[in-house]
Amino acid sequence: MLKKVRLMLAFLISTQLVGCANLGVQPWERDLLAKEEMALDSEGIDLGLDDHIYFSKEATSGGRAFAGGGCGCN
Amino acid sequence: MRQLRLSTLFFIISFSPLSLSFAQEMSAPDFAITNDQLPDKLSALTGQVVYLDFWASWCKPCRKSFPWMNQMQQKYAGQGLQIIAINLDTEEALAKAFLEIVPADIPIIHDPAGKIASDYQLLGMPSSYLIDKKGTIRFAHKGFFTRTEALYEQELVLLLNE
Amino acid sequence: MQLTSKSNVTGKTKKVTNVNSALAAATCVLLGTTPVVQADEAVWEMDTALLYYGETDRITAVEGVFSAKKDFGDEHIFSGKIILDALTGASASGAVSQPSAQTYTRPSGKGQYVIDAGEIPLDDTFRDTRVQLEAQWTQPLWDDMRGSAGVHLSKEYDYLSIAVNGSLAKDFNQKNTTVSAGLSLAFDTIDPEGGLPVAFSEMVIDQGQFANEQAYQAAFDATRQTGTDDKSIVDLMFGVTQIINRRMLMQFNYGYSTSDGYHTDPFKVLSVVNDQGLTQSLVHEGRPTERTRQSFYWQTKYALDSGVADISYRYATDDWDINSHTIDSRLRFNLSGNTYIQPHFRYYQQGAAEFYQPFLLEGSTLPAFASADYRLGEMTAYTLGLKYGMKMPSGNEWAFRLEYYQQDPKNAGFDEPGALQQLDLYPSVKAVIAQVSYSF
Repeated sequence: MLKKVRLMLAFLISTQLVGCANLGVQPWERDLLAKEEMALDSEGIDLGLDDHIYFSKEATSGGRAFAGGGCGCN
Repeated sequence: MRQLRLSTLFFIISFSPLSLSFAQEMSAPDFAITNDQLPDKLSALTGQVVYLDFWASWCKPCRKSFPWMNQMQQKYAGQGLQIIAINLDTEEALAKAFLEIVPADIPIIHDPAGKIASDYQLLGMPSSYLIDKKGTIRFAHKGFFTRTEALYEQELVLLLNE
Repeated sequence: MQLTSKSNVTGKTKKVTNVNSALAAATCVLLGTTPVVQADEAVWEMDTALLYYGETDRITAVEGVFSAKKDFGDEHIFSGKIILDALTGASASGAVSQPSAQTYTRPSGKGQYVIDAGEIPLDDTFRDTRVQLEAQWTQPLWDDMRGSAGVHLSKEYDYLSIAVNGSLAKDFNQKNTTVSAGLSLAFDTIDPEGGLPVAFSEMVIDQGQFANEQAYQAAFDATRQTGTDDKSIVDLMFGVTQIINRRMLMQFNYGYSTSDGYHTDPFKVLSVVNDQGLTQSLVHEGRPTERTRQSFYWQTKYALDSGVADISYRYATDDWDINSHTIDSRLRFNLSGNTYIQPHFRYYQQGAAEFYQPFLLEGSTLPAFASADYRLGEMTAYTLGLKYGMKMPSGNEWAFRLEYYQQDPKNAGFDEPGALQQLDLYPSVKAVIAQVSYSF
């Protein structure tokens, strides 16, 4: 129970990044982040195939999400 | 009741296509222009309606905005519209490569250091600002959407008819 | 709801849950069926891939993927995927190797196979094909907010999985921060040939003791429970993506998942050995009917002048007491404007499940749950790979990937009686992964 509380706390602290307005770049400084290879889902097919292999051969699965990053357009 | 009206208002605003009217109207920050087709600074364009578009080669929605801007410039140039596309690429070569694929009939200025962009406090990419004949920013847009093209045109016409 | 019981063998309380069988049964829940970030308008972007997975002397699988996505205007994106895979080969049954040859009955009840002395028993009846279909729709909902919903279906001969997912993502700080929340609901049913075995029932091996075929079948059926059995899974995912600077972004995810239902692998057994280490009988395994998992994931992507460095760490824990650490890193080097190479290194370490036992000792009380499936045991694994990609003048891209994956199961602290001390009870599993991809 205590272990779970500690883990949740660690996560909550990391989500405080939402309030870190000094981290980040101006909208026009996202040239490198806009590159295809910098997208979180840039190798989606590979990641999906790998996840399938590791899901079948190991006891842990998942963890990733693909939202955010990129050029920040629109 | 008041809460309902406020929340409805909030709801409507959040659904709106990002066309913001500045509550406290800002006069457009001036900047130098190095382009043969235009005078040497923005303030020299008072008397005309100016549409400033901030773009970059890596911005996908910018590919849609150029054909529309070309169309608007052609349609309303006679009535006093001047569209200027400000490029924010750090390397001019990237902008040139983009323009080879997406033709631009509007003048391009380069702002690689992002100085003009910071003066205009850009909220996103692409961003556009509609400046009236007196040099005040009347509308600011964040992003470019096909569904809002008609609305933007209406804003242009509104300012041109003033 | 958690079922706990005390085992006299180990004196530890155990909880019950299930894990799917080999590559034959896959339910990729929240992974892969996630919102598409961007696509080109007016054109369908297609990605195809063909993957070969081959273990030395064990499973071989071939998997083909076809994926298509299109932006229908203003970031209203549809993405669809079809996956076909075929699996053959042998997989560890969970029984221990012996100093003499052993005979086993196939899980279907039809036929037998013999394992040589000193060899780890592998059940080679895996021959299955699977079809998976996915569809996902992503669109902006409000200013800076996107929503996504999708469905997923996976079908193979004896396994069916259906899932729906939905998620929301909101941007803050001029899109420097993105917070997302996702939910996935899945329902799986399993109906293997030969039916589902009763947990801890003895494997019936025909060694001539049956008068006729019917007598054997009756004995076999007595170890079976009727009907299909199912499992429902709820997955929650919360994530924060943060742009750190012009070159770097980070992602933090928390995942919570509960599954309820049949988790046992109907093809796995445990050897019951005496104090000499000799197998007396084989019993089918039994896993708990519930499992709750949590994962903490952190990833950084860094844009180099000519390439990208990508590193991630995941810590996972669950109420089966399986804790794991995963480090995954990819380093992309752009060789030219159109080509790149990308070395890949992954390290994985997991602890054994509470109810994991490499074998049962004769005479000891049967635990409530037990499994000798090495995939629930203690192990480390590493992957070393290299990918080469090239972009054609037409804009289409080819990529080739070759990887080596090795799993090293370890003894999670079990004493080995008698003959078992001379045998390798934890052999490594070595596999080669080869993939060709084409995007157009």
